Amino acid sequence: MTEDAHAENGHDGLPPQTAVKRWLVTTNHKDVGILYIVTSLFFLVFGGVLALLMRVELWTATQTVIAPGAYNETVSAHGLIMIFFFISPFAFGFANYVVPLQIGAEDLSFPRLNALSYWLYLFSGLLFGTSFFLGGTFSGGWTMYAPLNMPAYTPTVGGTTAVLALMLFVASVTVSSVNFLTTMHRQRAEGLTTLKLPLFSWTILLTVWMMLFAFAALLAALLILASDRIVGTVYFQATEGGSLLWAHLFWFFGHPEVYIVFFPALGIMAECFQTFCGRRIVGRKWFIAAMVLVAIQSFFVWMHHMFLTAISLEIKTLFMATTIGISLPFDLMVFALIYTMVKGKIRYTTPFLFSFGALVLFIIGGITGVFLGAVVLDYEFRGTYWVVAHFHYVMVGGATALFGGLYYWYPKITGRMYDEFLGKVHFVLYFVGFNLLYFPMFVAWETPRRVFEYHQSFVAWHQLASIGGFVLAAGFLVMFYNLYKSLFAGEEVDGNPWEYASSAEWSVSSPPPFENFPGLPSYGDGRLRFLTPGRGGEVADGGTATGDDALDAAADPATESDRPQSDGGTVTAEAARPEIARDETADTALPDAEAEEEHPDHASYWPLAIGLSAYVTFLGLSGIRMDTAMYPALTGVGLVMGAFSFVGLGRESFHVPEMAVAERWPFEGVENGKLGMWIFLASDVVLFGSLIGSYVFIRVAYGWTAWHVVPHDPIPGLINTYLLLTSSFTVVLALVAAKRESTRGLVASLGATVAFGVGFLYNKGIEWQELFHEGTTVGSSVEASTFFLTTGLHAAHVIIGLLIALFMIAQALKGAYLGEEGSRKVEYFGLYWHFVDIVWLFLFPLFYIL
Amino acid sequence: MGIDPPFGKGLVNVIVEHALHSGGADDIRTTFDIFREIFLVFLVIGTAVGVVVVAYMTYNAYKYRDGNGTADSGDVSRPELGELPSGSGGGKKLFVSFFFSAIIVVSLIGWTYGVLGYYEEGPTEAETDEALEIEVTGYQFGWQFTYPNGHTNSTLVVPQDRPIRLTVTSDDVFHTFGVPEQRVKTDAIPGQTTKTWFVANETGQFEARCYELCGSGHSYMTADVVVVRQSEFHDWYDNRSAAENETQADDDPDTETGTDTEGRLVGVPSVTTPNHATEPTTIEP
Repeated sequence: MTEDAHAENGHDGLPPQTAVKRWLVTTNHKDVGILYIVTSLFFLVFGGVLALLMRVELWTATQTVIAPGAYNETVSAHGLIMIFFFISPFAFGFANYVVPLQIGAEDLSFPRLNALSYWLYLFSGLLFGTSFFLGGTFSGGWTMYAPLNMPAYTPTVGGTTAVLALMLFVASVTVSSVNFLTTMHRQRAEGLTTLKLPLFSWTILLTVWMMLFAFAALLAALLILASDRIVGTVYFQATEGGSLLWAHLFWFFGHPEVYIVFFPALGIMAECFQTFCGRRIVGRKWFIAAMVLVAIQSFFVWMHHMFLTAISLEIKTLFMATTIGISLPFDLMVFALIYTMVKGKIRYTTPFLFSFGALVLFIIGGITGVFLGAVVLDYEFRGTYWVVAHFHYVMVGGATALFGGLYYWYPKITGRMYDEFLGKVHFVLYFVGFNLLYFPMFVAWETPRRVFEYHQSFVAWHQLASIGGFVLAAGFLVMFYNLYKSLFAGEEVDGNPWEYASSAEWSVSSPPPFENFPGLPSYGDGRLRFLTPGRGGEVADGGTATGDDALDAAADPATESDRPQSDGGTVTAEAARPEIARDETADTALPDAEAEEEHPDHASYWPLAIGLSAYVTFLGLSGIRMDTAMYPALTGVGLVMGAFSFVGLGRESFHVPEMAVAERWPFEGVENGKLGMWIFLASDVVLFGSLIGSYVFIRVAYGWTAWHVVPHDPIPGLINTYLLLTSSFTVVLALVAAKRESTRGLVASLGATVAFGVGFLYNKGIEWQELFHEGTTVGSSVEASTFFLTTGLHAAHVIIGLLIALFMIAQALKGAYLGEEGSRKVEYFGLYWHFVDIVWLFLFPLFYIL
Repeated sequence: MGIDPPFGKGLVNVIVEHALHSGGADDIRTTFDIFREIFLVFLVIGTAVGVVVVAYMTYNAYKYRDGNGTADSGDVSRPELGELPSGSGGGKKLFVSFFFSAIIVVSLIGWTYGVLGYYEEGPTEAETDEALEIEVTGYQFGWQFTYPNGHTNSTLVVPQDRPIRLTVTSDDVFHTFGVPEQRVKTDAIPGQTTKTWFVANETGQFEARCYELCGSGHSYMTADVVVVRQSEFHDWYDNRSAAENETQADDDPDTETGTDTEGRLVGVPSVTTPNHATEPTTIEP
């Protein structure tokens, strides 16, 4: 990694990139992006080695090297690691690095939360790795079908660890989604309307929206699963629809996940096709419209994964129709990419080859997917290698474009060019290996999935596939060598090494300066400019040029030095690799009258500390039912560490300036913090919606009227309804007091809220105590399980709210949260608290009365 | 001859076989026939579309390569650094292509939808003999077949040319029951039942197996399916009853079966109660 010139100055408050400490504390989006990319490549190797292990086992038609149970673990872990811990984080490495640059933001809206996302991701991956050593990891397939996912059938501690690792991963995704959505909706450069976003940013925007909702459904499924495995509820053991419930929850997440994985790849294909063909994409608006359609529709196709379950012909027909419907927009996107080549000036660089290859593979994956859309064919393909081959063509086909992205942005990230010859060697090995690996699976499609014993007649095809697997793997050795070697020996590049690249990340040096831009980016007059508003809106040219000289002009010192030296976008001629000298006035003199004198912060240890605490806590939880003191002890230690870290995070003064001028449609009137809270609550709505949906599903399967309502008496619930509603009122009072700058009023109102909340919990405690005494426990019936888990999750929300309130009281006593600005945090807490109250208004009738 | 299962035939073989196939006019339309027909049409059209599209892509990538001269005609506007993202024209061509691809996809799937109802429900009673109804229960790791008279068996013995209707469920985890040679498959879900059917036009021995990961013995979760002539089936079935299940529990489930040159059943299909112990128990959980 080349050293960041600013880091030497200590300008950003971070140690240099050569220091380990920097990577532990950084909150800068480019650093976090690099961390994501490197970590995800580690998981690529992890999942890839497992895949090779399978291919070795499948060399012969009988069981040889891996024991049957171990084979199932290998299959399951390979899928989970590649889908969760490799593909999406890899794409989000680029998203982290590139999206703020493309949209003209200095960083993400919540830099510490961004670091937190990364650490939660890393520790969730490590937790998953740890599960191998705790009696074996989860062995029920990546789809984790119920009730095989129950401890009765997959009893290892490691199995539970893996489930908790996925939960932690979902936490990372949710935090990340909130952050990206807030950033992308509120921090776009002036003139960069939503419709004008570069296509990679567009795909990320849609991906993140899908992630927000899809992963909330997965979280509900995993929460129930973890509860069944740890607490002893009996959702998925319930013969009344438990098994189908899992399938519905999982695929409601699982199908959008396909597009979550694929969209970033599509964005990279679009960028690379445009750059290396020297053509703007054909039918841009329709391309975007098609993606939006897919993103929405992705939530209405999940039952096509369940055509062989007991769903009715009418529902099958409906989902067959939505499935065809969602395939058509992809036709349009594929044609748009193909037509973009026409009249192009195509250069066969490594990123283009990977993008082109990805499109070919995706076309094959798409055509074979149409086969699966025909229900009659799907019946036979279900559970066979046709499905395996198809989704590898789609998903690994997508990953192909991501590797193209790695080469595309490598010079931007490192400041040095990769070795083009080795890149092409990688592509050839990759493309040949890929097709050798997956195409024979279509031919030998009658092999059942996830078996190590198959019909003798397929041996030759599977051996071909195994050879392909090793060729593919060899390609990656070349890639890693290339990436490593080029870091030191690669040719140094200026801002834009690619002719016809147009998006903003190429208009700054490589790697970009710490603050990304030499001034405030703006497209106000139709082209990218960097404003230094401290000088009365003087316009600095930040690398915009016209005509075919775009490449040279962007970073050519000679061109740039013609401009005044005070220019925010000046490139110093003497620098071997052009650096954009940052005008100090641009740092501080924002057009906002309340210009901040304070420097933005970029370093915090707390995200790492929270990630580590989560790891310890979840590791403890996974074995808490074992007869050793170690697991409960770990849980306790983890919780204490977590509490300490969260308080540390809350008390840390961390300044993040909002952009002075930005496109904020449609959230002009909402500040970042509030928008973030809204988005988070939207995902929480899906979480509770999924749990309530699960309850309704099981109750319908059980027989709605035959269902036995757990609490005998609705009165405690009714009293709790009043308590919570009153506490909502006191939160409003707290906000009023904070705005009036009355510390006493604020503390009193928050105190009252806490009192009501404690009353709620106390009342609930008595109610639960009585039920336990009567022998109604979490696992005594499916009615009891749904009651205790759903209201218990709500109670957990109340407890978290109370902890936040107590923290705020402590801060308020020291004079915090006063005035218009300070009261915002009270308002955000209020939003959360009102939401928790509203949830109760749904739960009370559902669980006490109906 | 039905003895040699089509199991293991590659795509090419399926096509060849289809070309040679001459189904009798009075045959019941089997799931096997329907699948083969639809699969073939999809393969031909899918391959054609794939070849055309990829060839066109490759042609464009070659034709408009840098240095070919095609790029420098002068009237092409190229992307510039720092511009607001926009698109090129060409929307009309895009929509024409989209329209054609949509027609292909929708008509293909629509065509298959026409047979879906039949595929789901099977032939009506009027068209065929009375269907034989058999309950199938999956368990870790095997299958149990229960006949209308209460007889249970670990081998699925069925008559030729008579619709077999299966009601499938599971005793423990989620399984999927499938007999690939008969193109019959359905999920076996605990607490739920699913229904499917098939007609075997030829006698012989086939394999039923599990298609959903169900635990360490998943790879071994198979059962024999023996198709016999209707008269032989009656001889066999009339001598079986629920009461017999217990007495014959220890029969070897792997009795050799096969057909002689006339296609007659040789060796009696084994009759046992589901015996979990015969399954691979050496597997560690």
